[in-house]
Amino acid sequence: MLPDLLRIALLGGTAALDRIGGWSFMFSQPIVGACLAGALVRPGPEWELWALRVPIGVGVLLQLLLTDASLPAAQRQHDTATAGVVGSTVAILSMARLHETYPTTGAGMLWVLVGVGVGLLAAVAGGWVLRFHRARSRADVARADRLALAGEVGAFERLYWGGVVRAFAVGAAWSWGASLLGIALVTALLPRLAGFLTSRRIGFLFATLLGAALAAGYHAHVRGRRRGRRLALIGAVATLVLLSVLKGPR
Amino acid sequence: MSGSTPSSVAPRLRADDLARATSRSLQIQALLTPERMQGPGFAFALLPALRRLYPDRQDLARAVARHLDYFATHPVLSGYVLGAVARLEERRAGGEPVGEERIATLKRSLASPLAALGDPLFWVTLRPLAGLLGVLALALPPPAGGAGPDARVLLCPLVTLLTYNAVALPFRVSGVARGYARADQPGMLLRSLRLVEWQAALAGAGSFGYGALLALAAVSLEFGSAPWTGEGRALIEGTAPLLLGAIVGWVGLRRWPGGGVEVALLALSMGVGLAFVF
Repeated sequence: MLPDLLRIALLGGTAALDRIGGWSFMFSQPIVGACLAGALVRPGPEWELWALRVPIGVGVLLQLLLTDASLPAAQRQHDTATAGVVGSTVAILSMARLHETYPTTGAGMLWVLVGVGVGLLAAVAGGWVLRFHRARSRADVARADRLALAGEVGAFERLYWGGVVRAFAVGAAWSWGASLLGIALVTALLPRLAGFLTSRRIGFLFATLLGAALAAGYHAHVRGRRRGRRLALIGAVATLVLLSVLKGPR
Repeated sequence: MSGSTPSSVAPRLRADDLARATSRSLQIQALLTPERMQGPGFAFALLPALRRLYPDRQDLARAVARHLDYFATHPVLSGYVLGAVARLEERRAGGEPVGEERIATLKRSLASPLAALGDPLFWVTLRPLAGLLGVLALALPPPAGGAGPDARVLLCPLVTLLTYNAVALPFRVSGVARGYARADQPGMLLRSLRLVEWQAALAGAGSFGYGALLALAAVSLEFGSAPWTGEGRALIEGTAPLLLGAIVGWVGLRRWPGGGVEVALLALSMGVGLAFVF
């Protein structure tokens, strides 16, 4: 598990730098973090199939739920950058640990739910961790003023690089710690819920989240946009026609 | 001060100075604070150019200090401001009568419209669109029979990354050089970027893509193997929980825009409550 978590720390640090530092290459999008975590974490050959599929489900749902079209990423209060990374990692590694209680063949959807739930909670708690970085940034800016006035440009430059490294380190440490904590919590709690988590209830929860995700998608892509509803309708009809054409010859 | 006295050999910026400013602009938000926003990042990114222009330590320190002030623009478009300011600093260092106020005015006159045009394009339109296309990549067929590694785990993020960066990267790479070349024509520089046209085209694509997603969800979200079917799948096909989530999401985000995490947790909690009741 240690090599897995080291890889996840690197991924989390990259996602944090993408969001906090200003890279903005979109490594911090939940679907990217969740899927790349799925590709990096290797719980063992017997889980390979699900270790790739569960992250896709986690990433898709988190992407739709957390797509916020209203604010610049750097000013958000929640840490959505590492939510996918943490959610995916916890889901995959917990899945491998709890396979006796929840056989994978019947509980793939459960692990997607676990990943999304952990990802959402990690986004909230990660926001608190971000406050540490912001507080340190404030102190650094005050120091940068003093250094510039004193003519210490080299020291200012080092101070700034320190801020870049800290952004990476905060993301890496948070992804590592939150994944460990999440795995511990899930491993401790989920076996106690084995009697309650029937496939019927899991399906109910999954559908609820999917509905919320589609509604969030509407707000992000259609609401308030010129001709948004009309274009969405055209998109839906075009897709249905395409699907019927593709399935026609069978 | 080298800004006001003509020097014998006017320092000139080199292409590698601009390239280094471009690469540093990727870190422009590392010390972001509400009071200064990207101000320290701007000074940091401009530093290679300032070092070339102000060999004197005190002149360099003064130049850095004046760029530490408040500065806010869209990070992808920050290069245009960096390039234009580098050009004015070059003239100032060469002895031309370019005052600090003129440099500050140019910064403001470029930064504000670039933020106003960049936010709707990159944050409101392109970022969600890139994520949506990544989600739509899920519709591509899984491996035959559900066996073998599922390449979609790499395909979905790849589509997201490529979509966003296909539009954003050219702005980032060429920003400093174009800003430097057109420092005297900020209005023309802004118009040449065609940000409004980009935004209009991509907004339409986002709405169209969302319609496609709805159609795919209606037909069935294909995760690709038998274990997804069964009793749970039958409930997904039932509309009650789907509608519950959709109503919570729609009303919640209408009431609390930007509260995606809270609304999702609310929907999940309500789902848990109802799932255990029924």
